[in-house]
Amino acid sequence: MDVRAAPSDAEVVARVLGGDAEAFGILIRRYEAGLLRFATRMLGSRDAAADAVAEGFVRAYRHLAGCREPARLRTWLYRIVTNRCKSHLARRSVADVSLDEAPPVADPFDTEATLERGEQMVLVQQALTELSADKREAFVLKHVEGLSYEEMAAVTGERIPTLKMRVHRAREALLKVLEEHA
Amino acid sequence: MNMIDPRIHQALDGELSPDTLPPELRRVVRQVAAAADLLATPVRSVSVESRVMAEIRRPAPTRAQRVARWIITPHAITFRIRPVWSLAFAAAAAVLTMFAARGGGLELGEYEGIAQFVGRFPDAQSVHVVGSFNDWRAGSIALEDQDHDGVWRATIVLPAGTYEYMFVVDGERWVPDHLAERLVADEFGRENSVVIVRPARR
Repeated sequence: MDVRAAPSDAEVVARVLGGDAEAFGILIRRYEAGLLRFATRMLGSRDAAADAVAEGFVRAYRHLAGCREPARLRTWLYRIVTNRCKSHLARRSVADVSLDEAPPVADPFDTEATLERGEQMVLVQQALTELSADKREAFVLKHVEGLSYEEMAAVTGERIPTLKMRVHRAREALLKVLEEHA
Repeated sequence: MNMIDPRIHQALDGELSPDTLPPELRRVVRQVAAAADLLATPVRSVSVESRVMAEIRRPAPTRAQRVARWIITPHAITFRIRPVWSLAFAAAAAVLTMFAARGGGLELGEYEGIAQFVGRFPDAQSVHVVGSFNDWRAGSIALEDQDHDGVWRATIVLPAGTYEYMFVVDGERWVPDHLAERLVADEFGRENSVVIVRPARR
């Protein structure tokens, strides 16, 4: 039985930099789900999110030698994808991007709880979309991706008090919208 | 501004146990946590692995190709100068413009052509054009409405080729040019305008 542990990020980075480009697939499989979720919450569209994440991975591969701390690759990847999302947002107004998260057509086998959860998701996503990009980014990194304020500072390049303020304002705005629709 | 009790933020930041809060504040903490849980649901999305790996496996462009691409791509250049120098530069620019006008207008290279952008935006404060020729960077190419009739114009020299573009009105509204030679759907399912720049010298 093969009991080898999965290689660490630093080991995979060393393999890629050593010429094994295919090993980069390990990093994609390891991080794409979280990055796609983050980008989807930022952009409000799965297609735009897939573009941003794909561009981010290609950029990461091309600049992998410049990743100073391979052990903190996750933070570095979030930083790259955050910048790709900002670039997409600069090109398009997020408010009218997509209704990807519109409630699915009711399935006769869906339970009431499933339908209610779908409606809640639409409401929360809509409330998130109404936040400014900075607040949305801060809220998603903190509460959806579970980053610490230190990690968020590394991702965004902002100071921790600034990020705390953005998260607080985002919570307040989100609660206001949710209570209006309660 | 809708301020909420600071203890709610402390609880959500892990600085305070929610159990120590009064019931009405605990309810708010749960509300935010529930919203975050919903957003943390995995997204049903197609894996990007195959497209990323295909891009990675493509041979990288040579240094010469990268340089050539950089040279033909328009770049916005910004520089800061003291006001006193700006007067001197303005005078020099005026003289150069006079000579250029006598010489028949824009100087074109062998493989360059002129692209003219015209749009009617009567209430606009500013209009820019963005497109594949400037990497879709807003703010680098401004249209002018010199006689204040609501018709904005810009004329630029571009390498011959086919470009997609849009107007950006007042820095935020992206509008296709419906008078363009062609309109094409972009990856967002919307329409970009198309301009074909033909070389001035054949």
